Amino acid sequence: MRPIKLMGHERSLTQVKYNREGDLLFSVAKDNAASIWYSSNGERLGTLEGHQGVIWSIDVDPESYLCATGGGDLAIKLWKVENGQCLFTWESPSPVRRVAFSPDGTKLLAIADQVMGHIGTIVVYDLNLDDLSNQNLQPSVIIETHPDSSKANVAGWSADGAFIIAGLDNGFVAKYDSSNGELLDTAQAHGIHNEEKIFSITDIQFAPEDGSYFITSSKDKCATLIDVETFEILKVYKADAPMNTAAITSVKDFVILGGGQEARNVTTTAESQGKFEARFYHKIFEEEIGRVKGHFGPLNTIAVHPDGLGYSSGGEDGFIRVHTFDKSYFDFLFDAERTEKAAASGNI
Amino acid sequence: MSSTIIGSWADAGDEFSAPDITTNPDGTKTVITFRTNQDGKKVKVTQRIREVTVQERVHPLIAQRKSWNKYGKEKNSAPGPDTSTTQLGEKVELKLGLSWKQAEKEEEENKAQTSDKIVVQKIACRYCGGDHYTSKCPYKETLGGAAASETAASETSAASETVNGKYVPRHLRADANGNISKESRDDATTLKVSQLNNFVDEDMLRNELFARFGPLQRVTIVRNRDTGESRGFAYVSFFSEELAEKALNALNGKGYHSLILHLEWSKKKKTTP
Repeated sequence: MRPIKLMGHERSLTQVKYNREGDLLFSVAKDNAASIWYSSNGERLGTLEGHQGVIWSIDVDPESYLCATGGGDLAIKLWKVENGQCLFTWESPSPVRRVAFSPDGTKLLAIADQVMGHIGTIVVYDLNLDDLSNQNLQPSVIIETHPDSSKANVAGWSADGAFIIAGLDNGFVAKYDSSNGELLDTAQAHGIHNEEKIFSITDIQFAPEDGSYFITSSKDKCATLIDVETFEILKVYKADAPMNTAAITSVKDFVILGGGQEARNVTTTAESQGKFEARFYHKIFEEEIGRVKGHFGPLNTIAVHPDGLGYSSGGEDGFIRVHTFDKSYFDFLFDAERTEKAAASGNI
Repeated sequence: MSSTIIGSWADAGDEFSAPDITTNPDGTKTVITFRTNQDGKKVKVTQRIREVTVQERVHPLIAQRKSWNKYGKEKNSAPGPDTSTTQLGEKVELKLGLSWKQAEKEEEENKAQTSDKIVVQKIACRYCGGDHYTSKCPYKETLGGAAASETAASETSAASETVNGKYVPRHLRADANGNISKESRDDATTLKVSQLNNFVDEDMLRNELFARFGPLQRVTIVRNRDTGESRGFAYVSFFSEELAEKALNALNGKGYHSLILHLEWSKKKKTTP
């Protein structure tokens, strides 16, 4: 496959995201403008300008009408995708680590980091969809970090919007009721599979088909697949470098992990040692089945096309690479799958 | 015709009639156009065109989004991807399978092996053909003389790098044009021509200025090494000293391309006793 290289950002990427139909790709980096691209040909639709510094996170609503960004300049901004107009700006007490629209597009979640004496919070804003430039400044729900717990790094909505699931700095995942912020369940997802000392969760992404399970990636060189309802660890994928991101593919039963050596160690080792590859694991058999090279820095973020036709990765090197899978990708069957298929056809 | 505004002069050149399009029974079209080619001849171009309509079904929202105007940094950019931000990367492999690690390792080993081979080929002793430097050949004493003269003979015929087994440094060898280097050159027939206009080139000197002084052995304009621009002087070698002297007397102080030429012997003449 021949990836499209997008070089619109001047600094390392922090998040890439597809919209629901997969025709637009949203990207944010440590420079102060978000970019929106047509995923089919890599043409840039435009940039969202207004943040004063690093933008940590971007999300788009299901209709691709609104887009939200959160950055290190203590701002959460709401944009109109069509013309790049900034509709509203909320102020946050501390840098915003993650923003996410609820599945129905009526609520917006934002994580305020636990720095500068601020207690880490996850806040939920109810969006005023009738008058977009006049939003409620007060969040409807505030979830504070428990005194005995650790701050949230990442968070997302369950498929029905009933739960907010957060990945914490201490390797735990926590499930909250999205209507009142009540803590429902926690589970230790990382730090138990190996001896690694650092196991903060770096990414959380939900299953593309129904959102009934999600994948978390962590600095402890692992990724785990966890069920939303039971909060049990279903699968563990082990890698050989700290993982910054993980995504679940549709169509094929794969997961894609991305990461690599810490950015600060990159200059001290050879590129081949850096492990800057996207890793493909079989979702069910937990086996690594392939790697894709290309970035020359750690991968910070991966997003899978909602139709499973390809994926995009953003790296510390400041590039986005948009991949479209070849036919051989769709033809690939795991040994067990092949025998099962053969048996099924033999029985008929 | 006069009332229509010509958008670009490049489009305005053809005065021939509009293309003659006929539709064939098999659904193709034949387009006949006339135009003038580089030699000024009228050329008939016949093209057979089959039109294929490719229909692609997209989500209406996607189609709608495709028509949005660009904004932000892309506000005034033309439609289509901008090469400054979007480029096609080189091909990457995704070999799926449990054995991908082994395959990759094998590939790396192969690569290492081929690079080893190249190294082996690079160092070859001229005496015995072993993989060490010639000077360190253990058979230097025994093989040395015979082998050296053999190679010498073969090499003179091939590249004349050695003469009678003796190494000739590069600057003393004849170059591809048969010019022999400075030391053996007869500078007695060479004039230095200065105050040349800097667009004057070798051909102009050879065919214009010195044409009547017979063929020239060698014409070299001194140029700036970086820009290739003439520095305004040249060395011209004649076939005899008489011709050179004639040229010197005839052209010194004469004008050439708005500058007054200054000619002198490239080597100071020894005053004949």
